[in-house]
Amino acid sequence: MNSEYIVEMRNITKSFPGIIANDDVTIQVRKGEVYALLGENGAGKSTLMSMLYGMYEPDRGEIYIRGEKVVFKSPSEAAEKNIGMVHQHFKLVDNYTIGENIVLGIEPMKKKFGIFPYVDMKEANEKIAKLSKDYGLEVNPTDLISDVNVSIKQRVEILKMLYREAEILIFDEPTAILTPQEIEYLLKIMEELKKGGKTIILITHKIEEIRKIADRCAILRRGRLIDILDVKSTSTQEMANLMVGRKVELTTDKQPPKFGKTVLEVEHLSVYDESKVEVVKDVSFKVRAGEVFAIAGVSGNGQVELADAITGLMKAGKGKIILNGKDITNEKIRQRTEDGIAYIPEDRQKYGVLLDFNLRDNLGLRKYYKPPFSQNGILKFSEFESYAVRLIDEYDIRCGQGGLTSLRSMSGGNQQKAIVGREIEEHSPLIIFVQPTRGLDLGAIENIHKEIIAERDKGTAVLLISLELDEVMNLADTIGVIYSGKMLKVADASTLDSQAVGRYMMGVTEA
Amino acid sequence: MKNEKVPSEKGFFAWLAKVLGHEKWNSVTVPIFTIILTLIVSSIFLLILGKNPLTAFYSFLAGNGFAAKASYGAGNGMLSDFFAFLNIMAPMLLAALAFIFAYRCGLFNIGIAGQMLMSGFMATILVGYNKALPAAVAKPLVIIVGLVVGGLLGAFVGFLKYRFNIHEVVSTIMINYIISFLTGFFINSRYVDSITRSSKICSSAARLTCTKVLIGGYYCNVPLGIVVALIMVFVVKFIFDRTVFGFDLRAVGSNRNAATYAGINVGKSIIMSMMLSGCLAGLAGVTYYLGYTNTIIPKTLAGMGYDAIATALLGNNTPVGAIFASVLITIFQNGANYMSSTLGVAKEIASVITGILLLFSACSGFFRYLSKNKLNRIADEKRALERARKEAESK
Repeated sequence: MNSEYIVEMRNITKSFPGIIANDDVTIQVRKGEVYALLGENGAGKSTLMSMLYGMYEPDRGEIYIRGEKVVFKSPSEAAEKNIGMVHQHFKLVDNYTIGENIVLGIEPMKKKFGIFPYVDMKEANEKIAKLSKDYGLEVNPTDLISDVNVSIKQRVEILKMLYREAEILIFDEPTAILTPQEIEYLLKIMEELKKGGKTIILITHKIEEIRKIADRCAILRRGRLIDILDVKSTSTQEMANLMVGRKVELTTDKQPPKFGKTVLEVEHLSVYDESKVEVVKDVSFKVRAGEVFAIAGVSGNGQVELADAITGLMKAGKGKIILNGKDITNEKIRQRTEDGIAYIPEDRQKYGVLLDFNLRDNLGLRKYYKPPFSQNGILKFSEFESYAVRLIDEYDIRCGQGGLTSLRSMSGGNQQKAIVGREIEEHSPLIIFVQPTRGLDLGAIENIHKEIIAERDKGTAVLLISLELDEVMNLADTIGVIYSGKMLKVADASTLDSQAVGRYMMGVTEA
Repeated sequence: MKNEKVPSEKGFFAWLAKVLGHEKWNSVTVPIFTIILTLIVSSIFLLILGKNPLTAFYSFLAGNGFAAKASYGAGNGMLSDFFAFLNIMAPMLLAALAFIFAYRCGLFNIGIAGQMLMSGFMATILVGYNKALPAAVAKPLVIIVGLVVGGLLGAFVGFLKYRFNIHEVVSTIMINYIISFLTGFFINSRYVDSITRSSKICSSAARLTCTKVLIGGYYCNVPLGIVVALIMVFVVKFIFDRTVFGFDLRAVGSNRNAATYAGINVGKSIIMSMMLSGCLAGLAGVTYYLGYTNTIIPKTLAGMGYDAIATALLGNNTPVGAIFASVLITIFQNGANYMSSTLGVAKEIASVITGILLLFSACSGFFRYLSKNKLNRIADEKRALERARKEAESK
């Protein structure tokens, strides 16, 4: 057996009802390298790693760790072979401290007076402190998980693996939930881990990260292994093409804008959160018909609250919101949608859809209470059905059972298509998109970008709020940069380059 | 290797998985399965006690007029037993509907018992003690009082939740105690019957059950409540399935944030659903205290107010499911006396059986999950086998 490779997965095939998740995939990972798995959503990256981590067993194919054939029946068997995984959704106990979470399951037990067993957190915390120093993972072991942000939670997950002496670390889409600075920090940590001799397997669909950190990269598409590339010698465009299987446009073609009258006017708007902290501070701007006004900013600088205040999900503290000349500052949410605001929210499963309802009802969510969808308070499902059939067709929403498909069973990308379709069909003079492409794959992103530009060209005012700088630069006619609740800069997109916008996003006003 | 195993496509468990995992029919097959399981487990129980389970189940049915008893008293027959069964089932069904109404909007109404007691008490003192009212006025008035009192109590709970963010479980439990002691105080000080130590009986004009009606030669207690309850089943079903109002409530119950986003007035929905839940509980209260019985025992909440929660869950939180669930649970509870006298076992065995039934019905989701898993595994093995066969052929 050739044990040049620390991990070998040979001819792995795994199928689920109706879908072949992995079809004859072979990957070989060397010790101490950063190996990336690149592919669109549903390409089979997570499934492949779940098999390495012992969550599933492959239908066919073999797994070798350090040249030795293994069959994992559970994640704990994989952990015995020093394999650890940071999941996309953290598995932490909120009301335990960081230290307690890390030792959970392998607590260092001692006995007081030789009889009474207790967990020696002191020893554990010392070991954690050493680990966090070695790899630059700053955490305070005595903080409660419920009090720390996602970036720190992720560090805790990494420490959990290290505490269990994992040598092979699997990261499942680790940057999906992080801000740009936090991503930088994470990449630095990975660099440290690599230096410490750990082997890293990185699941991602972001090519940028792979460029920065990975040595080699396997590209998966529809369950098949397409290619294995050396990252240094391959261009970004080439990787993107291999990933989606056709040429993708990283920039969207668009005509010069034709601005119409002012649709939305925000005047000296301030918003306060639940604990009365001013999260949006005296913000003013205008969005014209036929314009994409993009608000760039690092996550948590008040952009979501700004959108919520305009749509009515949050109360405006001070200032005015004017839509087509009408003051809507104190209007109810439904009145605002009637007046002409469509809203694609950031957290689509929390706000945008009812997961327990079927697709038909979700598509009708903006219209169900008025004719022809209902009359005298009685719903007319035949209307719902024909409307759903039209939208499914027009917006290419993939669903198993048409309008009766349960939303929960649909993929994130198709849920988003349903929301975007529903909101565009309102034909509102103003559409607000917040993080419209979050968690979507390249094909879907391209699609949504085209929809946004199409709306603009139809003369709709578009307010786009995004954390992705590329997205802002690609789509915006006018850019506003928000920093700690203040609108730091508003300028024509052509006058700003991404570096300038990036500086403003960090709060730097002087060049 | 897994592939070498004989495919488990046939056999009892595969069949069972197919039946329970069926997309369309599992809402029917799973409850039937839980009932069968309950009968098997309670049979084991009865066998340990040295009793014939078949006799036990037969006497449960006979006790409710679904089967013939060995002997009847003068003027009594199967029909009398059946009406007695309906008489107790009516408030149970209404109480279950009350729970469902709140639950669909994401609220847990644990105050049904208190709402029942309060509306029963108010109807008794306002209408039941007014001897002058003729039946045609008194009976509708009782129903109206039940609706109003229950509705006001429910709306109050909804208001507390909406305005002060007080969890409905906490407020309803507390209100239950308040009502229990408050009504107890008034009954003991003003309306007590000095012999029975419970409240004086209400007038038969106001009572929603017509006693000793001669039907087919038997004296029967005919409950009007069952008619009200069955009408309410379809009213509730219609509201949830077909109306904009029901859509709002379900949306709020499913995801409060998304409901807000869609422009639904969440506060209003919470208050409305709690109020209508209270109305149904009020109806349950008047059919219980001015129907099934005609008196109120002071400082005692009806256990039915809590049993209704289990009934609703057994019926999958659907109005039509609640009919079947309340029939089943009432059979066990109401048949307990007769079963106990024919078999000579303590009548609490009926509570044990109800408990087993609820335990298994709480596992419904788990049964569904197991059968889905099994079906997936079978499909996996089938595919693997097919692939192996194809490969063998190509070689």
